[in-house]
Amino acid sequence: MVDPTLIWGIPYLGAGALALLWLAGVRREAVYAWGSVASILASAVLSTLVASRVFSGGEPVYVVYEWIPSIGVNVGTYVDGLGAVMALVVSWLSLLIALYSVEYMRGDWGQPRYFFFFTFFVGSMLLLVLADNLVLLFIGWEGTGLASYALIGHWYTDEEKYWVGVPGRRALGVPMYFEPSHSGLRAILFTRVGDVGMLLGMAVIYTLTGTFSIPVIAERAPEWMTALAAADALAAVLLIFTLGALAKSAQFPFHEWLVTAMTGPTPVSALIHAATMVKAGVYFMLRFTPIFYEGALASGVETVVSQAHLYFVTVAGLGALTAFMTATMALVNNEFKLILAFSTASQLGYMFMAAGAAGALVSFGGGVAAGLTAGLSHLVSHAVFKAALFLVAGWAIHAAHSRFIDDMGSFARHMKVTAVAMWLSGLSLAGVPPFSGFFSKELTLKAAEEAHLSWAYALGVVTAGVTAAYTLRVILRVFHLPPYNRREAHLHEAPPLMLVPYTILAVAALALGVGWGSVEGFLARAVGLTLAVGEAEVPGLKLAAAATVVGLSLASMAVVALLYLVARVDFRRIVESSRPARVLHDFLFDRWYINSIIYIVVVGGFAGWVAAAAAVDAAVDWFYHAGLVSAFAAASMAFRRLHRGRPDYYLALYVYMIGLVLLFAYLAWG
Amino acid sequence: MEAGFPILWLSVIAPMLVGLAAWADRGRRIRVYAVASMASLSLPMLYVAYYAVRGALAEGVLDPLYYDATGYGIGYIALALDALSAPVVFGVSLVTAFVALYSVPYMEVRVRELAEAGEPHPSLGVYFMLYNMFAAAMLGLALSTNLVLFYLFLELTLVPSFLLIAYYGYGDRRRIALLYFVWTHVGAAVLLAGIVYYGLTLGTFDYLTVPGLEPVIAEGALASAARVVAGLMLVGLLVKMAVAGLHMWLPYAHAEAPTPISALLSPNLIGLAGYAIARFVAAGFPGVMEGWRDFLVGLGIVTIIYGGLVALRQADFKRFLAYSSVSQMGYILAGVASMTKLGLAGAMLFYLSHAIGKAILFMVAGVFIASLHGLRDLGRMGGLARLYPRTAALSLFGFMHLVGMPPSFGFWAELLVILGLARVYALTLDGAVLLATALILALGVSAAYSFVVMRKIFFGRPRVEGAAEPGQLVAPILAIAVAGFTLFLAAPMLVEPLSYSSFLAAVEASLGG
Repeated sequence: MVDPTLIWGIPYLGAGALALLWLAGVRREAVYAWGSVASILASAVLSTLVASRVFSGGEPVYVVYEWIPSIGVNVGTYVDGLGAVMALVVSWLSLLIALYSVEYMRGDWGQPRYFFFFTFFVGSMLLLVLADNLVLLFIGWEGTGLASYALIGHWYTDEEKYWVGVPGRRALGVPMYFEPSHSGLRAILFTRVGDVGMLLGMAVIYTLTGTFSIPVIAERAPEWMTALAAADALAAVLLIFTLGALAKSAQFPFHEWLVTAMTGPTPVSALIHAATMVKAGVYFMLRFTPIFYEGALASGVETVVSQAHLYFVTVAGLGALTAFMTATMALVNNEFKLILAFSTASQLGYMFMAAGAAGALVSFGGGVAAGLTAGLSHLVSHAVFKAALFLVAGWAIHAAHSRFIDDMGSFARHMKVTAVAMWLSGLSLAGVPPFSGFFSKELTLKAAEEAHLSWAYALGVVTAGVTAAYTLRVILRVFHLPPYNRREAHLHEAPPLMLVPYTILAVAALALGVGWGSVEGFLARAVGLTLAVGEAEVPGLKLAAAATVVGLSLASMAVVALLYLVARVDFRRIVESSRPARVLHDFLFDRWYINSIIYIVVVGGFAGWVAAAAAVDAAVDWFYHAGLVSAFAAASMAFRRLHRGRPDYYLALYVYMIGLVLLFAYLAWG
Repeated sequence: MEAGFPILWLSVIAPMLVGLAAWADRGRRIRVYAVASMASLSLPMLYVAYYAVRGALAEGVLDPLYYDATGYGIGYIALALDALSAPVVFGVSLVTAFVALYSVPYMEVRVRELAEAGEPHPSLGVYFMLYNMFAAAMLGLALSTNLVLFYLFLELTLVPSFLLIAYYGYGDRRRIALLYFVWTHVGAAVLLAGIVYYGLTLGTFDYLTVPGLEPVIAEGALASAARVVAGLMLVGLLVKMAVAGLHMWLPYAHAEAPTPISALLSPNLIGLAGYAIARFVAAGFPGVMEGWRDFLVGLGIVTIIYGGLVALRQADFKRFLAYSSVSQMGYILAGVASMTKLGLAGAMLFYLSHAIGKAILFMVAGVFIASLHGLRDLGRMGGLARLYPRTAALSLFGFMHLVGMPPSFGFWAELLVILGLARVYALTLDGAVLLATALILALGVSAAYSFVVMRKIFFGRPRVEGAAEPGQLVAPILAIAVAGFTLFLAAPMLVEPLSYSSFLAAVEASLGG
C-alpha cells in the first residue's frame, strides 16, 4: 500500500534537497532541473496509484499522523474523489511543465531558485488539495502563495523586457505598467487580504466545533451552522471564510493581481497562474459547497438555509461578474500572456458560478452533485487547454522577442505544429464542439440556469460569445495575419522539450472532448466519491440551450473572421480616429479603470494613513521629548523664582504658609 | 516537578561568569569567549527541549535551589520553568547564543570605526561582560517566580544595555542611552509602585507558588485596590513594551544601539514585558483584566496598525525595524488581553517567533552596516539580492515570521492569537465583521511593510557595487533561521505543554465565563 502522504511529501523533500545543495554551493543547472523533474515524476506516479485505489475501492484513502493533537492539528492526507482528480491534474501537469521549464530556463541566472520554488509549489499545491484539516490546507495554501510571489518576481532586477503593460501608459494618472518585483508585491498583498479572512473563518469554525478536521467539520455542519445562523452571522462568516478563495482565484475585486502576475516566466504562468494555483479557490468551493449544502439541509432550520442560499448566490454572482468583466478586457489587449490571463480570470469565474449555483440549489432541492461535476469538469478541461495556450505563448514570445502580439504574425508559416496546438487549445477555450471546453462550459451554464440565477446565466452566455471572439482574434493575429510591426526575427519550430508538452496538452484538450461521455462519467463518479456528496449524478447537456450558446460563439467568431480576414479592418486606425471607439477601447484596455481606482482609493488612502500616522508620531515625539521637557524646565524656573535670597520675600511667604496651615487645621477640626 | 540539579540557576550564572572572565582577560582571545558565551547561553534551549520531551513543562519545573524568605514577607526566591515561560526562555536563549557569535565580526568593525574616529572604545572584553550580563538577566526575568527577583533582574537588564548603547552605539549615543534609561525607568518605577503595594498587602511577592507553581490570584486579597495595583503594573509594563503612545523611547534606542544589541533589545527585552503581563497581571487579576479586555485588545490592534504605518515612513533600516517591533508588540498585547487560553498561549509563541524574525532582520541590517560602509538608508538600497543572495533569502524568511506565514514558526503564533480573539469576538455578526476588518487591516499592514521593504532592499536594479557576502556574519543568521523552520515542524514541543498547562488552566478557571 502506498502512503498518500508521500504524494506531497516527495516534492517538499525535493525542494528541501535543492535548497541544501544551493547553500552548499552547487551551481550545476542539470542538478536542479532534473532533481525537480524526478521528484515531481515520483509524486505523479504515486498520485496515480492512490487515485486508482480510490476509484477501484470506492472509498477515500485516509492516512493520519499525529502532529499537534491538543489543538487538533494532524498531518492527515485525505484522498477522496475530488482530491484524487485534483492530485492527478496537478501532478501530471506539473510534470509536463517542469519538462518544458528545463529547456525554457536553460542559462537563466536564477535557474536554481526557479526550480526550488517550482518544486516547493508542487508540494504545497498537492498538500492543499489532499489535506484533511484546515490548518494543513492553509499551510499548503500559503506555500503556493509564497512560491507564486517568488516566481512572479523571478526576474527581480526589473529590466523593461520583463514588465507587463505598455511602458509609460497611465490610466487616471496611475501607471499601467508593472515591474516583476512590483507584480510580486501585488500578488502577495492582494491574496494576503483574502487569506486573513480565511484564517478568521477557520478560527470561528474551530471555536464552534473544537476541530480543524474537514470530515468532522462536515459531520457537525448542521450544529455549527445553526449556531451561527442564530446569531445572524452565517452568511457573513462563510463569506469571510471564502475571501481567501476569491482572492486566490482572482475573482472581483481581487482579480487585479493575476493580470500583472504575467511578469513571471511563462511556464510559471501556465502552471501556477492558469492551471493549478488559481484553481485553489475553485477547489475550496468544490470542497466546501457540499459540506455547507448538506449542513444547511440537515439542520432543517429555515434561517440556515436562507443564509446559506444568500452566501452561495453571492459567490455565484461574483463569479459571473468576473467572467464577463475580464473577458471584455481580453478583447482589446495586445500582450499575448495578458490576454490569456484575463481569459483565466474569466474562466475561473465560470467555475465559481457553477459551484455557487450548485450550492444555491439548497433552497430548491435537486442535489448538489451535478453543479459540482460541472465546476470540476471546467476546472479539468481549462487546466489542460489553458496550460497548452500559455506554453504556446511562451514559445511565441521567445520567438518574437516581444510580449506584444503587435510584433507577432504569420507564425503558422514557420511553426506548423505549434499552430495546430494553438488551434486545438484555442477552440477548446472558445467552447466549440467537440472540444472539452465546449462540454464543460455548457455544464457550468446549465448549473446556473437550474439554480434560477438567470442574470448570472445571461452574463455567462454573453461571456461565451466574447470568449470565442477574443480567442479567434489572438489566433488569427499571431499565426495567420501579418504582424503590425515588422521586425527581424528568425522564426522556427520550438525545440522538442518545449514542443512536446504543449502538443500533448492540446491533443488532450481534443481527446477529452471526443471521449467526453466517459470523461464526464468519470468526473461525476469522482464527485460522487467526495466528502459530503451523497451520490453521483451525470449532469448531461440540454441540447437546445447548448446549441444556442454554440451558435452565439460561432457567430461571434464569424464576425471576427469577417472583420480581420475579409474586410481587413484596421482597428488601430478606428481607435485613433473615432472618439467613442477610443473611449471604449481605453475603458477596456485600462481594465475598467479598476486598477486605477484601487490605487487611488486603497493605496492612496493607505499612503494618507501612513502620512497621518507619521504626523501623529512626530507629535508624540515632540510631546515627550520637547513639550514635556520644556514643561519641566518651566516648572523648575517657576519654583526657583521662589528662592531669590530676599529676606522680606521669605518672611512674607512664611506668614502666608502659616496662615494656610492654620486654615487647614481649622477645617480639619471644625 | 523539581529538577534534579540546579540547572536553571546555572544557566543564569554561567554566562555571567564567562562575561566576567572575558572582561578580566581584557579583550584577548575574544573568539574563545564568544564561543563560551554561545555555549553557556544555549543551555536553556537544551533544557527546554529536554523537559518538553519529558512532559514536565505542563506542570512546571522548579529549580531545587530556592530560598524561603517568607519570614521577611518576601516569599520564595526561586527559579522555575513552565509551559508559559518555555517559549520565552527558548527565544532569549536562541537569539542571545547566536548573536554572541555574530558579535565578534561585527563588533571588531565597530570598535575599529570608533578607534578611527578617535572616540573612547572599551575592549571587546567589556562588551562581552555587559552582553552576557544582559542576556543572563533576561533569562532570569523569564525564570523568576517572585516580584522582588523579577524587579532585580529587570534592573540588571537595564544597566548593561544602557552602557552598551552609550559605549558602542551610533549617532548621539550618550544622549540616546540616557533617554532610554530614563524612560524605561519611568516604566519601572510605576511597576515598582504596583509591586510594593502588591507585596505589602499580600505579605508575599510571589506570583507563582513554591513548590506548586500555581498562579497567585491576587485580586481577591487586594479587594478594591486590585484595579489600582493591576493598573500600575500594567502601565509600567506597557511603557517597557512600547505600545502605541508609550513607544517614544524605542525608535531611538533600538535604531542607535550597536546592531547585535538591537537584535536583543528589540525582540527579546520588550517582549518580556508582554510575558510579564501574562504572567502576573493577567493571571493575578483575571477579573480586572477581563473588564479591560476590549480596551486592551483595541490598543493592541491600534498598536499593530500604527507601528506598521509609521514603519513604512522610515528611511533608515534599523529605525524601520524598531517601529516594526512596536507593531509586533500589538499582537502580543492583543493575544494576552483576549484573556483566553489560546490567546495567552499564542502571545507567548509570538514572543518566540518575533524573536526569531526580528533577530534575523536586525542581523541582516548589521550585514549591510558592516560590509557596505554603514549603509542603512533604505533609499540607497535596491537590487541587493543579486550581491547578497543568502542574506536576501534569510530576510524573506525573517519577514515571513513577522507576517506569520508558514513554513515559519510565526504561523503558529498568529494562528493561536487569532483563535483566541475569535473565541471572544467572532460569534456574532457585528463582532465577526468588526474582527475581520481589524485583522485584515492589522495583518495587511504587517504584510505591506514587510514585502514593500523587502522589495526596496533587495529587488530592482542593483545600486551597490560588488561587495562579498560576509560569511561570518551570515552563518549565525542562518542558524537562527534554521531554528525558525525546525520550530515550525517541532511546534508540538511548545504548543502541547501550553495546551495542558496547569498554570493556564488555573487562569482559565478563575475567569468569569
